[in-house]
Amino acid sequence: MRTIFAALALATALTLPGMAMARPVTLAATLKSYGGNGAYLAIYVTDPKGAYAGSLWVAGTKSKYYEHLSDWYRATGGNTAEINGITGASVGAGRRLEITLDLADALFDAGYTVHIDAAAEDMRDSPNEIAVPLTAQGAGQSVPGRRYIANFSYDL
Amino acid sequence: MKKTIAILLASTGLIAAIGLPAWSAIRGAVPFERLHDKASATSHDAGAPPVLVSNDDSVGRDHERRLRRGDDNDHDEGDEEDDDDDDGGNASGPAPAGSVAPPNNGLFGTGAMPKVQVN
Repeated sequence: MRTIFAALALATALTLPGMAMARPVTLAATLKSYGGNGAYLAIYVTDPKGAYAGSLWVAGTKSKYYEHLSDWYRATGGNTAEINGITGASVGAGRRLEITLDLADALFDAGYTVHIDAAAEDMRDSPNEIAVPLTAQGAGQSVPGRRYIANFSYDL
Repeated sequence: MKKTIAILLASTGLIAAIGLPAWSAIRGAVPFERLHDKASATSHDAGAPPVLVSNDDSVGRDHERRLRRGDDNDHDEGDEEDDDDDDGGNASGPAPAGSVAPPNNGLFGTGAMPKVQVN
């Protein structure tokens, strides 16, 4: 019995700090009805110095098209190891993409910025379509995109 | 001998039947250069100013980078939107969400699987 309690206490002690350091964040992007095929999107984060910090999501599974997500591609070289487990289908025109991720607390109010690069078949590539600082205050606020994304927001 | 003459006659008749219309069509056709001259002359006669049919004000657009799935040899023409995504990933592509944990890049807290929804 004591062993079970000890194990439970240990598990709780190990889990709680992890839960306190991360929170579920929902990223939502609604695409414009741009009249083309599904768009490839790269959602990634830059640090306070503007350097690439990591990827959050890539919509579109064929790596041969990743070079059209030009800023993201420049930063990553299209390395698919960067996006294993955070990749899904491309997003059709007029559709809304919602992703819920467990993000580190340290990303918020610390000068980090979330970016989205977009590309669609036979249409112009759109790097840095969205660039939004990650702040607690900015949560829930809708930001318009430049070419393919009607609006983007994140909720904590 | 009769057979040879019959074959010769038949082939001559065939050539005449096919060749004559083709020959007269070639004779009657106006060369492209003359068509162009005719159009210019008509325009000048009427005193009409030349009209620019297409003014692509996006000159240089074609120099912009574009995603072209036509280069894709893995699919036949006429494939539908997002068909590439039905593959469930490919050998060189990334592991789809849900199949492995998110990368350990310092952005993700606990390594929980992402939840995705497209409406």
